[in-house]
Amino acid sequence: MSATLLPADRVVRGRRLPEMLAGIVVVLTVLLALVGPMLVPQDPLAQDLLALNEAPDAAHWLGTDHLGRDVLARLASGARLTLLVGAGGAALAFLLGAGVGLLALAFGGPARVLVFAAFDLLRALPGILLAMLLVAALSPGPLSVMLALGLTYAPMVAEVARATHARESAADYIAAARSFGLSRLAVLGRHLLPNLTGVLLTFAAIILPRCIVTESVLSFLGLGGTPELPSWGRMIADAGGFAEEAPHAVLAPVLALSVFTLALSILGERLRAASDPLRDGAP
Amino acid sequence: MTRAIGWAAPPLRALALILAISMIAFFCIRAVPGDVVDVLAAQGDLTAAQQAEMRQAMGLNASPIVQFLTWGGRALHGEFGNSLRFGKPVGELFLNALPATLHLGLLAFAIGLGLALTLALGALAAPRSPLPLLVQAVNIWSIAVPTFCIGIAGILIFSIWLGWLPAIGHLGLPAAILGIDIAGQLVKPLHDELRQAQAAPHVRTARAKGLHPLRIGLFHLLPTAMPVLLALSSVVLAGVLGGTLTLEVLFGLPGVGSLALNAMHGRDWPLLQATIVFLAAGVVLINAAAELLHRLLDPRPRR
Repeated sequence: MSATLLPADRVVRGRRLPEMLAGIVVVLTVLLALVGPMLVPQDPLAQDLLALNEAPDAAHWLGTDHLGRDVLARLASGARLTLLVGAGGAALAFLLGAGVGLLALAFGGPARVLVFAAFDLLRALPGILLAMLLVAALSPGPLSVMLALGLTYAPMVAEVARATHARESAADYIAAARSFGLSRLAVLGRHLLPNLTGVLLTFAAIILPRCIVTESVLSFLGLGGTPELPSWGRMIADAGGFAEEAPHAVLAPVLALSVFTLALSILGERLRAASDPLRDGAP
Repeated sequence: MTRAIGWAAPPLRALALILAISMIAFFCIRAVPGDVVDVLAAQGDLTAAQQAEMRQAMGLNASPIVQFLTWGGRALHGEFGNSLRFGKPVGELFLNALPATLHLGLLAFAIGLGLALTLALGALAAPRSPLPLLVQAVNIWSIAVPTFCIGIAGILIFSIWLGWLPAIGHLGLPAAILGIDIAGQLVKPLHDELRQAQAAPHVRTARAKGLHPLRIGLFHLLPTAMPVLLALSSVVLAGVLGGTLTLEVLFGLPGVGSLALNAMHGRDWPLLQATIVFLAAGVVLINAAAELLHRLLDPRPRR
């Protein structure tokens, strides 16, 4: 509310700058993941035992790590895996939480009780423990981590789906649609869904950075990426033991990860604030 | 009658959750290809006949349901099996590792709560200062920046470049990093709740009497925001757990996280299974206690 007391242009400029920077960071990182591995001539896995822990120079723009591998090439291929697994986990969480959750809500009865009991159970089991169990049962790797991310964040999405579904279901237009004799699925698909997607997609933007952070934590603990598939978390774990000899090899993935998730969070928060009618500083 | 059900529900729910989590943990670990006998056979020479005999003796040929009931029956007597690598009861190993984890977790929680309360009250008392912006910043920071990244940067700066702290084995840096993370999760909902509470009539009265803003914040606003803190406890607890486990590994503290991760990488399944069940049960029980406390502090009917 206090923002309205400031001159209008200051509000706009003060609010847009972080978001513009965040947007640039996100675009650059996505570009790094998409075309980076093609542009960087070095092989992310090729070891050069004559050039260990070298500081950045013309041949290796970000230097080499403790096995003489090119840090920039690894950063680019790591971006690909980190983004893929993080976004895949968020998509899975969305599909399970919103998809299965809304279907269960539409059908009601035992399906609803059962599905939400399962979400309750998943919520009670801290994500890191769930990931350890899944990785033990399957095997360490990107797919197990994606599944763990999906199962960890699905209950949060389902909770939002339940709250918005309850709010919209009370509206007159839904009662009208029901009174025409439309089936539950038709009410859900034609009338509820268009009004729920905005809120749910905003929430997806909020959980995306969390998924990427969790993916990195799991990879850092050795549950995610394998040596052949470097993800940023794995790179940090690998290079962490050589922080004294080659700080650049640790700092590159640490900074890339932190700045990228920070940028995603700023954009997600902005999206949430813009779609929330009770946002602070609303005119 | 309904009140009695309301009080009994959280403990019963906790029991059901612990049972379900134990089952999930049991069946996930059983799904791992290869069993104890395979591991022992790989370590020493065992003939196929010896292996079959051992499987029979250990009850590994029984149906999974029977195996789970046997495990559950022993677990109720406090026997969770022996670690494959250390040969000791897993309960003992867990209890040995617990103090290190509790130290870090509780210290970080104290720092986080203190910081969150200071920031939220400060931002409330001085809405035109940069403090409200700091509330936002700490909140986004805790969501977006992984604790282990700050941990590595911290080791690099304070241990390697400045040489102020030993790289591993000390508590200060991880506790501070996790504390800021916890503060970020708490401070925004707390600040929002306090701002809403400001509109209450008793706060207007207190202000009209000319009480100091700090006094109003501490004694008139904060009590109304306590239930929010309790409602957040489950999210915060999961965050503390995840953060503690990661930072233990990074800073080389001999806690439960290092234990679980070593069990995982060393394929010590009984130890991993017990550690996960113990930790999950602890989280579920603390959440149930928080729910009961919430009910006690906030007697209004639930929405």
